[in-house]
Amino acid sequence: MAQHVTERDVRDIAEYTRIRLNDDEISQMTIDLNSIIDSLAPITEYDLEGVVPTFHPIGSLSNVMREDIERESFTQDYALSNAPAQQDGCFLIPSILGEGGDR
Amino acid sequence: MAELATMGICEIRAGLAAGEFSALELAEATAKRIEEIDYEQGGVNAFLEFTPEVAREAAAKVDARLAKGDSLTDIGPLAGIPMAYKDNMNLLGTRTTCGSRMLENYESMYTATCVQRTLDAGAVPFGKLNMDEFAFGSSTETSAFGPTRNPWDLERVPGGSSGGSAAAVAAGLLPATLGSDTGGSIRQPASFCGVVGVKPTYGVVSRYGIVAFGSSLDQVGPFARSVEDAAYVMNAIAGHDPLDCTSQPVSTDFTANLAEGAFGMRIGVVPAFMEAEGLSNEVREKMAEVANALKSAGASLVEVDLPHAQAAMSAYYVLGPCEAFSNLSRFDSVRYGYRDPGHADLGGQYEASRAEGFGPEARRRIMLGSYLLSAGVYDKYYYPAQQVRTLITEDYTRAYEKCDVILMPSSPRTAFKFGEISDPTSMYLSDMFTISLNIAGNGGMSMPVGLGKDTNLPIGAQLQAPQFKDENMFRAAAALELIYGKAPIAPRYAESAGE
Amino acid sequence: MKTMEQVLKDWEAVIGLEVHCELTKLETKMFCGCKLEFGAEPNTHTCPVCLGLPGALPVPNRAAIENIVLAGLATNCEIEKHTMFYRKGYMYPDMAKNFQTTQGPKAFCMRGHLDLSMDGRGADERLFWKDLDQGEVSENMTRTADGYVAHVGITRIHMEEDAGKMVHIGGEEGRIAGATHSLVDYNRAGTPLIELVTEPDLRTPEEARQFMQKLRSIFLALGISDCSMEEGSLRADGNISLRRRGTTKFGTKTELKNINSFKSLHDGLAYEICRQAEVLEEGGVIYQETRHWDPAKKRTIVMRVKETADDYRMFPDPDLAPYDLTDEFIESVRAKLPELPDQKAARFATDFGLSAYDSQHLVDNPDIATFFEECMACAKGDAAKLAKPLANLAINDIAAYLNANPETALADCALTPVRALELVRLLAEEAISSKQGKEVFQAVLEEDADPASIVEARGMKQVSDTGAIEAVVDSVLAEFPDKVEQYRGGKKGLIGFFVGQCMKQMRGQGNPKLINEMLSSKLDA
Repeated sequence: MAQHVTERDVRDIAEYTRIRLNDDEISQMTIDLNSIIDSLAPITEYDLEGVVPTFHPIGSLSNVMREDIERESFTQDYALSNAPAQQDGCFLIPSILGEGGDR
Repeated sequence: MAELATMGICEIRAGLAAGEFSALELAEATAKRIEEIDYEQGGVNAFLEFTPEVAREAAAKVDARLAKGDSLTDIGPLAGIPMAYKDNMNLLGTRTTCGSRMLENYESMYTATCVQRTLDAGAVPFGKLNMDEFAFGSSTETSAFGPTRNPWDLERVPGGSSGGSAAAVAAGLLPATLGSDTGGSIRQPASFCGVVGVKPTYGVVSRYGIVAFGSSLDQVGPFARSVEDAAYVMNAIAGHDPLDCTSQPVSTDFTANLAEGAFGMRIGVVPAFMEAEGLSNEVREKMAEVANALKSAGASLVEVDLPHAQAAMSAYYVLGPCEAFSNLSRFDSVRYGYRDPGHADLGGQYEASRAEGFGPEARRRIMLGSYLLSAGVYDKYYYPAQQVRTLITEDYTRAYEKCDVILMPSSPRTAFKFGEISDPTSMYLSDMFTISLNIAGNGGMSMPVGLGKDTNLPIGAQLQAPQFKDENMFRAAAALELIYGKAPIAPRYAESAGE
Repeated sequence: MKTMEQVLKDWEAVIGLEVHCELTKLETKMFCGCKLEFGAEPNTHTCPVCLGLPGALPVPNRAAIENIVLAGLATNCEIEKHTMFYRKGYMYPDMAKNFQTTQGPKAFCMRGHLDLSMDGRGADERLFWKDLDQGEVSENMTRTADGYVAHVGITRIHMEEDAGKMVHIGGEEGRIAGATHSLVDYNRAGTPLIELVTEPDLRTPEEARQFMQKLRSIFLALGISDCSMEEGSLRADGNISLRRRGTTKFGTKTELKNINSFKSLHDGLAYEICRQAEVLEEGGVIYQETRHWDPAKKRTIVMRVKETADDYRMFPDPDLAPYDLTDEFIESVRAKLPELPDQKAARFATDFGLSAYDSQHLVDNPDIATFFEECMACAKGDAAKLAKPLANLAINDIAAYLNANPETALADCALTPVRALELVRLLAEEAISSKQGKEVFQAVLEEDADPASIVEARGMKQVSDTGAIEAVVDSVLAEFPDKVEQYRGGKKGLIGFFVGQCMKQMRGQGNPKLINEMLSSKLDA
């Protein structure tokens, strides 16, 4: 089996996808991902030169839009009804320091 | 008269029209049967949430309209019909868990269009059905709330990911259910459970309100025990929805041409598929038998080729995880869903909540998708996968110049035992005959065609149709039903149904 | 630190802008029917789509697509017919789906440009513009009679959606640092947003400011946004790097954020130019980083160092149909193009004999431009005579009033075109002084009265009677013989003192111009 991703890569992916994995889980995930990526080999072996990709299964689909007309919104209580925590009509979350902050 | 609780849609319509029973009586009988069978220790376990009260209310409304003089046609194609829904479909008043800890307590905040259309057509909702977590799986084993068992053999899986939807119909709990199919998640469990399962052309049924797995692959469809029953459900749920950009106008009456049968139809068969590695003998022989049966019903057999089917598998395991990775990024413990308690910083809360909330298969697919879309890797897998989609679509277009329907197995084998397949890559092989269709966006359905001679378990014949020609496969299916009969209730539960 | 002028002698600044503009004039959000409204109760303009609920699907707003095509046509862009929406992934709590729906390599609008007429002090930030001959072209500028034209390329304008808003609590007022929690409000989430990216063609902070002002006036004329930098409906990020004069290779750039006024844009860029020069001249290295402009402390601070290029896992959004814009669609949008500010300015200059400067500033605010035109229509025969003083009133007093009262619409003010004309006539006929003119202007707005009746009621007729003025001038000169001596001894600045004393005697109603002339003739005699 080819080594497509290393444990280090898998750690990075786990961090990117915000899924905490312990060392054992990282090892197992590395094995699983390499095995799956191996099975994707056929996709890299076809001669696809000049083949136009199809991003949507319905070929004729285009320009689907709606008119600029208001629809009813949720009430504040309803919007927050599944919130794990709330305060002052808002969703409440712990400190975001360190979350990129590039905004 | 068969027992009330195990009737099909057509029988129920006849009975309600004739005033033989009320919708409420039917609902009571159905509720009782679900309680007895589905909640049995070690039993089917199809339901994740059971809503008999809501069902009684809906049934009473149907009765009130009938009493007022409205006809079944006025009320809708599903007037009084007990139904339940795969638990990735939002329905107000129920949770939508997707079989995941992540959404264990998530209360639906709106109703999916397809579900609403069944309700508008008079359906009586009994709740939500088990599934592989976020529809990632082919066995319903990845559900966080325990597996559903195959009514034909409780030691075997019902298939997946819509295992609960298939098993509920096979056990005779309900005449029809809805499932969703991203890579075979309707057709494969229909095959394993010996019921009719329809995956319509992409765009025929609105996806609005279905928790997305692979947005360009997902499609909703019915399970039922007869072709006509499935057609009734299709009539209710098909059609354009302004809330789903990819939904299309559809005016087909799916019940209209069932009687025409297969006479004069051209049935495509793919010889190369019959040589496929992993295809069991009994399924291969059954397919030959089915082809001959269709021929004897007046159809002609044509050999067609789908040369890129092998690549479809790889394309699917690129596109599915990529879309899933993106679709599942919204589960972040902020607005809804599982929040791991006690974190002082959002980063820690994100990582713990997503680690605890998602099961192993979900985590695998999310991480695989993230990898495949990353810079440098995108061009190696994602982009070629979309090019392969073009090739597969062209394969089908060429094949359908020669035929009206293509016949192939729904699954290479009959239902397997729990734990029999643990390696993810081998598990993925059980989708080998179903995946191309999702890549191309065409319609397909699984028809029960009797039991395998070796395993004595149901086998499904897959009938595929060109885009937006779903009525073709319904015709061929109706012809097979004349030969093989309607889907039986699994023997273990047929007895209790008094059959 | 050196001044910017010193720095720019040795270094060339390379500046590009990323401009975000919310399409505030639409009724609803980009992908759902929730109402667009600033300042509503938190989370009351939300639905399954903009809260990112499981199973929700986006449907694009047609009017938003029309708006971005309008913006593209007005900025000389090519309209790209075949485009797709993409998903740009990053997990951040104000982004409900944890991906932003935006456009990929092809945006609706590509390869546009705007020309900026730079003159006066604004032109002088480009130190060497006078070295060119008139009409001479150098890189991205063309020398004109009294300045130059800067040619600014627009890379693209793409369609995307805005994020929600967060309030940070538990720490210092509203700051992330030290906060223990944050509150998230998704009312703004999904607001249609267009992002315009320029080529790195700007060379001075003043060009950047003028570009933004011009863009704002165009977007206002198009009626696609209220373009409020304070409320954040118009936002600009600046990318800036330095290179030694005469070299062509780009230096490492920093990205400047938190700019909420034209002045901040200018001053922030000017600071970065000086800061980067200092670092480079001391042999230091510029890091590719995001810096935050602090207008109070007048400096930029590091927000984030970009160690690696961001990887957003972009791919075409399968939930949205591709675009295949037809010629009919594009032409139907083109038909809605209003007269653009440049065209209007040119017409004002020709029709009313205004300077380029005056006409340019009149069109900066489309409401003022419209008001000016209404006044000119009322002025009839006097139009030519009154155009210049009216332009002054509009550019200075009216613009200042509207800036100070952002909630007020000019059309709803007590200052009607007829009253404005009356005020300008009083000034032109020197019936009141310019200082009195400002008082009358305020009074018209506050009392909802005609200028003539205000002048009458306050007895503020300007005294232009030369006899009366001469008497006052003579008495003042007689009263301060020592000051007269000093003046004649060369202390010419004392003229102001004499004018003040005359005005005091005349209780502010003397014609200052006549007083000045009279004093000069007597003192210099």
